[in-house]
Amino acid sequence: VIRAGVRRAFRLALRRRDRWEREVEEEIKLHLALRAEQLVAQGFSPDAASAEAIRRFGPLDDARARLIDSAGHREEQMQRTEFLSDLRQDLAFALHTMRRQRGWTAITILTFALGIGATTAVFSVVSSLLLHPLPYPHADRIVYVEQEPSEGNNTGIQVTITPSASVVRAWQAGARSFDALEGMRISPRSLRPRGGGEPESIVSAEIFPTFMTFAGERPLLGRTFTASDIERGERTVLLGESFWRTRFGADSAVLGRAITLSDTTYQVIGVMRASLRIPGFSTGPTDVWLPLDVRDDKLGISLIGRLRPGATPAAAMRELDSLFARSAGFTDRKIPFRARITTPARRLEFYDSLVMLTVAVALVLLVACANVAHLLIARSATRHREMAIRAALGAGRTRLLRQLLTESLMLAAVGTLIGVTMGWAGMRGLVALRPASLDALDAARLDSTTLAIAVAVAALSGIAFGIVGLLQSARGTTHDSLKSGAPTTSQSRSTHRARAVLVVSEMALSATLLVGATMLVRSVINLQRSDLGFEPKGLYYLPLSISRDRFPTAAARAGFAAEYMARLRALPAVRAAAMARVEPGARSFSVGRLEVQGETPPPSSSSSFIDVNQVEAGYFGTMRMAIREGATFSDTSAGGGQVIVNARFARAHWGNRSALGRRIRVTQQGNEPWLTIVGVVSDASTNGPGAESSAPILYTPLDDSARPKVLIRADGDIGALAAALAPLTSLGLERTPRIESVERRIARALAAPRFVTVLLTVFTVLALLLAGIGLYGVMAHSVTQQTREIGIRVALGASGAQIARRVVGRGVALAAAGAALGVFGASVGTKLIEGELYGVTRSDLVSFVAAGVVLLGAALAACVVPARRALAVDPATAIRAD
Amino acid sequence: MPSPRLPLLKGTLDLLVLRALSWSPMHGFEIVAWLERAANGSLDVDDSALYQAVYRLEARHLLAADWGVTENNRRARYYKLTAAGRAHLRAETRNWLAYADTVTTILTIATGARSAEST
Repeated sequence: VIRAGVRRAFRLALRRRDRWEREVEEEIKLHLALRAEQLVAQGFSPDAASAEAIRRFGPLDDARARLIDSAGHREEQMQRTEFLSDLRQDLAFALHTMRRQRGWTAITILTFALGIGATTAVFSVVSSLLLHPLPYPHADRIVYVEQEPSEGNNTGIQVTITPSASVVRAWQAGARSFDALEGMRISPRSLRPRGGGEPESIVSAEIFPTFMTFAGERPLLGRTFTASDIERGERTVLLGESFWRTRFGADSAVLGRAITLSDTTYQVIGVMRASLRIPGFSTGPTDVWLPLDVRDDKLGISLIGRLRPGATPAAAMRELDSLFARSAGFTDRKIPFRARITTPARRLEFYDSLVMLTVAVALVLLVACANVAHLLIARSATRHREMAIRAALGAGRTRLLRQLLTESLMLAAVGTLIGVTMGWAGMRGLVALRPASLDALDAARLDSTTLAIAVAVAALSGIAFGIVGLLQSARGTTHDSLKSGAPTTSQSRSTHRARAVLVVSEMALSATLLVGATMLVRSVINLQRSDLGFEPKGLYYLPLSISRDRFPTAAARAGFAAEYMARLRALPAVRAAAMARVEPGARSFSVGRLEVQGETPPPSSSSSFIDVNQVEAGYFGTMRMAIREGATFSDTSAGGGQVIVNARFARAHWGNRSALGRRIRVTQQGNEPWLTIVGVVSDASTNGPGAESSAPILYTPLDDSARPKVLIRADGDIGALAAALAPLTSLGLERTPRIESVERRIARALAAPRFVTVLLTVFTVLALLLAGIGLYGVMAHSVTQQTREIGIRVALGASGAQIARRVVGRGVALAAAGAALGVFGASVGTKLIEGELYGVTRSDLVSFVAAGVVLLGAALAACVVPARRALAVDPATAIRAD
Repeated sequence: MPSPRLPLLKGTLDLLVLRALSWSPMHGFEIVAWLERAANGSLDVDDSALYQAVYRLEARHLLAADWGVTENNRRARYYKLTAAGRAHLRAETRNWLAYADTVTTILTIATGARSAEST
């Protein structure tokens, strides 16, 4: 079935072809007739004359066909030329118009550019993060593969488990849903410098030999690992490019040399390009690459895979689960862990924020489009007369439309050009401002999809607005427009109404953004001010990696740790120090049921994750956590059975009564010993602000199996502390530990929401600015149109204040209508940011009021110039005019 | 036919049509008649070839066409030179004359040398 439009176009072409044919026929006929007449005059008989005329003309059918053909060619040629000359004329005219109305043109182009620039910048970022998050071939099929507990996760956070080597082997052998399954492990190693000195910590990545192919990379130098290297247990290593450049001065003779990592010697077989990145870790560049041996069952291995084309994550998860159940010997259907497959995009902690920003930018684009629309409407209203004159002079409807389209497309083209440039700059700006946790942003590029979207938006709005302009000027007859200088009242009223609608919608969109941005700003302020329950300032931590070679037994290690801590506490800068299993920002859990003596135990089939941190007695003092009841541990032996709980837990179970002496336990079998509560401490948000959890936190004495972290409360800066600590390494640590500041770690957690808030604020300001320009345009136009009326009012004795009130009142009324709509929009739209809010609810009155005030302020500012112009109206000239 | 038919060199017809129209706008048959009168006889081409030349010139914007009415009230397509056509005619005429001059000079020398054999 051919669509009506297509058919019509086809018929049009046919009809045109008919016309040349008829014309050629007519010409031939006339020629033959005239020739015959000439011949008759020369004495031919009529019959002979027409025969001779045809003979001289040439073989008739042939000649006719040839002529029709050349006529067709001629038509085509003429049309093309005509099109080009019209275009040249349109362009020249558009340029002329743009030059004549410089201010208007600048504002329109700027609006286009802002809209397109903002869109381009944000879509580039979004598409690079959401659509191509990993720099590997076939990135669309790449997924992370993990396991998660099948039940009992009540922590409010996603708990995932890296599958053990035996599971990885079973999956690799059996999984059909994957083209590739790559395992990897990141761990620190110590490197003894060649010139001697303290060993330092470097980052090593263990990978399968196939990982390079998977990532589409080749070594810069030498070769990569082979399966036989691993089988034969060869100790081979590939150096990371930056490591090779800084430590070996990019010396290619490094191949074949030996380096010692954590007391094991490896042979260098190659150098890996810096572009090879391990996914999902923000550890920075990898220093050395080692082959990953999956024969050691105890290892947990991170997995990344490439799904087979057509395989769905859900099907792949089912397959992995059944393989896991078989390999681990679970015959029943209930397995403790199930596979979890996630796309890289979904793993971004920024996912929700990015979606939100995209929506915000789309709103800005809408505002920009609305603005361009009413800028064009405003202008077409002033051009009524010009259009009418051109129509009267014989310009057809299509010709006028083409003219308007050329103008608006030209504006769109220039605006797009500037906008894309601004977008590119804006994107580089975003990348430069990114928080450390968003390193992936570094890969943001202006991609073809984004550019295509930008160009499409510009072209579509150019066309749409050109047509709007024509419809506007087509309204009313030529006669009407020519008759009077001003457009007729009904036209001006309808134009005005259209523009008022646009301004109100712009104001509404801006109000919605304003409310959202205010809420986010307030959240960030709340986050920064929130009481953490401990003091992060001046608090540092370091991992204590005790050499297992020098201290093989637990007792020896405990002895060493005690000595280390004593030396540490003796340092002049150190105020307090304590060991703990995990530092602020990390969590450790026990899995089981939390029983409280005297209360009904939870059902024996249930199991959950319970925060348990093992700490030294001095932990609470070092952290500056308030002890609300009781005291810290008096007996730190395992048999002492002492436990300290957080205040929220105590309140939930015993209310205002004392929790001291009560007994609780975390149980799996039911035979674990009871622990006695000896203290209640403040609720510490050790995971940083915003990570609120009403779950219990238990503190038990540190046992010697853990690899502890050392928390240090110290004066002075981190560099001085590190220098003071360095000599202690030789007491028996594997390597010099890296000291980190807890305060910095918490600040890093805040960087992400702050970044999003800054972006949203920028877009909000942008939208507000555009809406302000829109309102200004409407008000200025209406003052110009009412010059005469204002003049009469002034002549009749209206005061300046009355005139100003009229103008400003109308502007504010428009803004208020927009604000009302915007508040309604915000009450729905803030659902999007609910997850990002902290200490602010979605119905936060302050945010709504603040947004309203800012919006009205912008509206007032937009009315200043038009109001002043209205005040400057001189009644004598205004009334006489026209 | 009283006078011999004039054979046409390739491309010359275009030039002749332009020349014909340099006086005033004409319709197709008027051009043919004018050329025949100017050549004192008929040209050695079919009449239809002339129309083809006209269309070709029109496509190149050397001619412009418009429908009009003949003295006897018949609808006819009238052709006139465009500014480009006039310039083209001037330039091509100059070229043609220079070319003819050269050829004439060469032919004249050759005739002096071996006129006996060549005819």
